Amino acid sequence: MDSLKGKGKGSKGASSSSKLDLVKEWTNWSLKKAKVATHYGFIPLIIVIGMNSDPKPHLFQLLSPV
Amino acid sequence: MADLLPPLGTAQIDGKTKVDEKVDYSNLPCPVPYEELHREAIMSLKADNFEGLRFDFSKGLNQKFSLSHSVMMGPTEVPSQSPDTTIKIPTAHYEFGANYFDPKLMLIGRLMTDGRLNARVKADLTDRLVLKANGQLSNEPHMSHAMFNFDYMGSDYRAQLQLGNSALIGATYIQSVTPRLSLGGEVFWAGVPRKSGIGYAARYDTDKMVATAQVASTGTIAMNYVQKISEKVSLATDFAYNYLSRDVVASVGYDYILRQSRVRGKIDSNGVASALLEERLSMGLNFLLSAELDHKKKDYKFGFGLTVG
Repeated sequence: MDSLKGKGKGSKGASSSSKLDLVKEWTNWSLKKAKVATHYGFIPLIIVIGMNSDPKPHLFQLLSPV
Repeated sequence: MADLLPPLGTAQIDGKTKVDEKVDYSNLPCPVPYEELHREAIMSLKADNFEGLRFDFSKGLNQKFSLSHSVMMGPTEVPSQSPDTTIKIPTAHYEFGANYFDPKLMLIGRLMTDGRLNARVKADLTDRLVLKANGQLSNEPHMSHAMFNFDYMGSDYRAQLQLGNSALIGATYIQSVTPRLSLGGEVFWAGVPRKSGIGYAARYDTDKMVATAQVASTGTIAMNYVQKISEKVSLATDFAYNYLSRDVVASVGYDYILRQSRVRGKIDSNGVASALLEERLSMGLNFLLSAELDHKKKDYKFGFGLTVG
């Protein structure tokens, strides 16, 4: 198991020596992207859902401090 | 299992049947969620005392959607090497929040000036299955956490599965055994650091009192008792013992809910006395005063705040 992991890390190309390493890389990549997407997009998502709910508030109400 | 944020409450609690007639064991009420087992005690004994200024402004745009702006200025504690000294660094931050409340979907997001996002989602997937997610995302690497909970509510039991980042899996189960007694257990497995734990809990409640007890393999034994003296007054007491680290804490607290204000206070066996006053100055305007005196460490914290809306 250890030698297999060592080989996977040693080769820098796209081909890893086992499918498990590929799956791990993909899940890591997708989790990183999901984290960035959530970080930037969660509050805009709430605002979009809220501005489209009934009764529809105006953009002015969103931006004014009163 | 330490919750990173206070537990979200589900509004799916059935009423209790009167115990005058014979107990119908096939028709027991649904128990309180496992993480809210000791919620009455938490209200009195773990009030959120703060230090410094706190200003919260909440503006509702319609029934379901609201925005909130919060300003907090005050010292924040930094963990120090020796237990005797506390290091405090003055900070000030502004937090923007957006909330969306729907019967089936609840979204709460809070974004701070330093880029940290605090997100909570609660979605009713079906009548009985609820998905709850909460996360704290920050720009610094490896400082983000997320936790997903799937709650299933049965007729007289609740089961929950928790998945967290950095390989954390937990499950809890609680069952009503009689109309007043519910028993539950939890098991968790954490990848980093590698440890697993199991715990049991019991809760006995009547109209006038609530008693709970919890034992966990992480070493904690906690028992608390809350007595509701009247509609306005309740007293609580709590005892926590960790048999691995040999820490013992006992505390006694009160909770007075009056017409215009709410006072909560407690005193601890660690020499900590604290109180929190929330006063309603007028409709939608609340004034907060918080004090916490730690005589053992000689750390005195006072805070005041205003909540609008």
